[in-house]
Amino acid sequence: MSVWNPENIKDVAESVGITSLNDDVLQALCSDIEYRISQVLEEALKFMRHSKRSTLTTQDVAQALRALDVEPLYGYESTRPLRFGEASIGPGQPLFYVEDEEVDFEKLINAPLPKVPREITFTAHWLAVEGVQPSIPQNPTAADSRNQELVPKGQSANPHMAAMSGNENVTVKPLVKHVLSKELQLYFEKICSALLDESNNEYRIAALASIRSDPGLHQLVPYFVQFIAEKVTHNLKNLFVLTQMMLLTTAMLENSNLYVDPYIASIIPPVLTCLVGRHLGSLPDALAAYDLRRLSASVLSSITKKYSKSSHMLKPRLARTCLKHFLDPTKPLGANYGGIIGLQAIGGPEIVRALVVPNLREYEDLVKDAIDAMDEGKRHEGEMVIKALLEALVSLEEESVGAVNGFTNGHSVEWRKELGDKIGDLFAERVLELGKPRLVKAIMEC
Amino acid sequence: MDANVIPQVIEYLSKKGYSKTESMLRQESANQDVDGRPINTKAEETGGAKYGKAFGLMRSWVEESLDIYKPDLRRLLWPVFVYSFLTLASDFSPKDSSHFFESFKSGFEKEHEDDLRALRPISLPEHVLNSDVAKIYRGNKYRITLSQVAFLNLVQFLESKEKDGGAVIVGVIQSHLQVITIDRVADDQNSLARLLKRARASEEHPAEDEGIPGHNPGSANVDRSAGSTVLTRLKLGHMPLESDLMSDVRAELEEEDAKNPPVSGQDSLIQHFEQRIKREESEDAPTRSELQLPPSIARDVAMEVQKVKEDRDRFKIEGRTGGVGPGVSVTMFTFHNTYDSINCLDFSEDNMLVAAGMSECYIRVWSLDGKALPTMAQPGSTEQPPSASRRLIGHSGPVYAVSFSPSVASSNPLAPSTNSKHLLSCSADKSIRLWSLETWTCLVVYKGHDHSVWDVKWGPFGLYFLTGSLDRTCRLWRTDHIEDLRMFVGHDKDVDTVCFHPNSAYVFTGSSDRIVRMWAVANGYPVRMFTGHTGNITSLACSPSGKILASADDAGTIILWDLGPGKLKKRMRGHGKGGIWSLSWSVESTVLVSGGADGTVRIWDIAIGNDASGQGRVIGEGGAGQKIDGNAAQMHAVAGAGTKKKGKDVVVTSDQISAFPTKKSPVYKVRFTRQNLVVAGGAFLT
Repeated sequence: MSVWNPENIKDVAESVGITSLNDDVLQALCSDIEYRISQVLEEALKFMRHSKRSTLTTQDVAQALRALDVEPLYGYESTRPLRFGEASIGPGQPLFYVEDEEVDFEKLINAPLPKVPREITFTAHWLAVEGVQPSIPQNPTAADSRNQELVPKGQSANPHMAAMSGNENVTVKPLVKHVLSKELQLYFEKICSALLDESNNEYRIAALASIRSDPGLHQLVPYFVQFIAEKVTHNLKNLFVLTQMMLLTTAMLENSNLYVDPYIASIIPPVLTCLVGRHLGSLPDALAAYDLRRLSASVLSSITKKYSKSSHMLKPRLARTCLKHFLDPTKPLGANYGGIIGLQAIGGPEIVRALVVPNLREYEDLVKDAIDAMDEGKRHEGEMVIKALLEALVSLEEESVGAVNGFTNGHSVEWRKELGDKIGDLFAERVLELGKPRLVKAIMEC
Repeated sequence: MDANVIPQVIEYLSKKGYSKTESMLRQESANQDVDGRPINTKAEETGGAKYGKAFGLMRSWVEESLDIYKPDLRRLLWPVFVYSFLTLASDFSPKDSSHFFESFKSGFEKEHEDDLRALRPISLPEHVLNSDVAKIYRGNKYRITLSQVAFLNLVQFLESKEKDGGAVIVGVIQSHLQVITIDRVADDQNSLARLLKRARASEEHPAEDEGIPGHNPGSANVDRSAGSTVLTRLKLGHMPLESDLMSDVRAELEEEDAKNPPVSGQDSLIQHFEQRIKREESEDAPTRSELQLPPSIARDVAMEVQKVKEDRDRFKIEGRTGGVGPGVSVTMFTFHNTYDSINCLDFSEDNMLVAAGMSECYIRVWSLDGKALPTMAQPGSTEQPPSASRRLIGHSGPVYAVSFSPSVASSNPLAPSTNSKHLLSCSADKSIRLWSLETWTCLVVYKGHDHSVWDVKWGPFGLYFLTGSLDRTCRLWRTDHIEDLRMFVGHDKDVDTVCFHPNSAYVFTGSSDRIVRMWAVANGYPVRMFTGHTGNITSLACSPSGKILASADDAGTIILWDLGPGKLKKRMRGHGKGGIWSLSWSVESTVLVSGGADGTVRIWDIAIGNDASGQGRVIGEGGAGQKIDGNAAQMHAVAGAGTKKKGKDVVVTSDQISAFPTKKSPVYKVRFTRQNLVVAGGAFLT
């Protein structure tokens, strides 16, 4: 009936010389002990509460005993939480005791002094500025505090709902737009103008550096995303602007204080535009656009690396888009190029093996046309595409392991034929020119 | 007597035609079993088990009663449970009482967790006489208000089931409860509509006038014999300035205005003083003669002048502009490497110092700006070298509260210093100490309390201070007297927290008995009593306007009390469990800030009410999230509450303006400065 073990009382009684204890007395003593203990604990809890702690310490119990006019138990005071050892003295009779290390006095005296605990210090930071919590490292992130109840919910919280249920004197809040502080607005404008300023290089670099590292820009993320989307759509002919936008995207992604996840879906379209866009930059120097495409591909690669975990459909969808642009003969070579490097950026060798290699034979004709074309510009473009494809293929080699002892010239004819069957004559020739046997092997194994 | 005798006798009687005697014998022998022992048909004759039977009967009846009476009747279960249990423990066997306790305790855990914990181990008659909780319940009659119809229904039911245990319940109610019936038609306050509304609220909260020891319904009057309409009149106005001081301040302000003329659009200091600050004798303000204060000195003049300046230049919080709550700025001071040893914090009002009371019996004071703390000691003496922090050592028990003497930031280096000069601390060693912040030594040890002292607060004008202790008393002291001037006695448990009214004529005490009391300093009488909390009171703060008191408990509720009429104004919920350690009001008394163990600082709007929406009870909370409005919701809530008690514990009421979480740092102290900036302090716990 009682939690307290009657055996215990018997033991104590025997120790003071009472050998036979009536059962009723035993029961009464049991429940009395239980009551007294709870009384002490109840009192100790008060001391814990007033120390604003959530763990009960031995000191609290000592204070409680003092408050109840009982001599406190000495010898249990400890700054560490007490550890209890368990010893079994019989079936179902565990005995608990405080684990107390035996200390060798000699050793203790000769041991170096323990480290002085660190000083109590304090730091100050803004928990809120004009009603808004700044996102600085000292404050918890939105993810940390998600499980806390911070804002009113339910019927009473929604003034419209409350008003509907016949509730009077409800103050209706106007629909509040995203409130930006003056400072942030100013900052945003400065950054935008700095980025688009072609003449001042330092200014631009400083702006990007600021976005890359500053905390507290979280509120501006949607504005930047919007800014990028808008500039990219309206400035397809202006390579400078497009490049800047890609740099801005990279900078945002690199800032570890920003939580960009929800905006990935809106960030990707501009990046794709810069990667596989039909006509980027003005026509005469079509080749200049290839640099931009390369930059976008690397942005894309970092996005997939970082966020494919949080949205598992991201990779397949991007791959599909890139593949479409790679294989579409009606698209200009630039777009094909974008598709190729995009694919490589998204998935590395795996995707190259699965999607690029099998399609090379068909694609060969298209490239041949370009190389044979009269137009010099087009020829260059063709070369760029071939270069991109070769690079993609080279990545295969890095993947593959396995020893191939250099091949002799005698084999080369056979190899060439086989390779030609697999990826088309043009590419086979180019690949062999590289003189990398392992690469050839890797392609053949595809 | 042989078992066969009776039938034989009856047979004999009927043969002889003694029909009356025969029927009498039949009737009388019916209550005996075959062996001639009486059969127990009445529940009250079955010993200790009768309470269990009766209580079970009553509980199931309450659950089946009409929806509109259910909330009322449900409140009756707790006192009946407690008194039944205590009677069982004192008059019957421990087995009966613990069996009763275990089988019926469910359902009370939420509201009466602490009481349940205290009652559980009670099993012997001696315990009933000894336990604090039991003493409180046995020594008083539990007061409860029921609507007349509900009460009549109850009585009818109990009478009809008299033999099955009704009589037991009637006995309990008669001897331990004080039931007050109200006719809900006659009383506007208890109209049906109101009752329906209250139904939802009282699911979780006791009515204001319920509990121990009872007081007049709807009244904060502590005098039980007085009528409910008679309340002591309070003088809640500001304490007027001394006339000498006033003229000095005015002269000083004029001089200041001449030196630094106000920027356009700004009042001059003297105008501001005349229009907003000036306090003259008025009817609802206490007179200066009621409170003995020393004549003002140059420091007081400088303080008043600086207060006017700060008041004019403050960040103004003008209610809800455009329906959006004001944007408040909060500076957080986080303490590191504390190993949870900080018990309490206080910031000085001049924002120069912060003090922490440690569980290791000492106090540590830091300067907030990191500069070395000034000391009076001569350089080259044995004093320690100047540093930005100091330890004050003297107490022999954990320090539970520290308080800086009133101060104002000093802007003028020529004027007398207005910085905080003294610090008070209280400890488990039963003493209160006064420390000098100039020499960094202990000046006085005040002894008088019988047990550890939980809280200490300076009065608004300095000189006086207030302490609350485990010995259930609150005491008023004057720094120049070694003994206490007043002892405020009345709480049934520890006085956990204390606070002054801004005019210094009244004091408030909050206790573990869940009651907040208000006392007049002048004569030491209690003037108001506020009941309604469901947890231990952890913090109190009176608004600068002097009209409203905010009290917070460790169940996460803040309650606002209207002092004049002594009524509950509203209940604000949002904090998690574990104690709201500190409350503070904005200068305009329109915004309240709170900080607590859940590591959040929350800002509350005082102006708007949340009462109409069922005291913040969320309909369908934690469940499927269905939204029902109007009557359907009420009925649903009432019907469903019995079965659907789970769901999230924390409900945030709509009058919370914002909540700012910290990183794993419980907030020990929050304070609005005179310029409406919030300063918060807490310890980072790894």
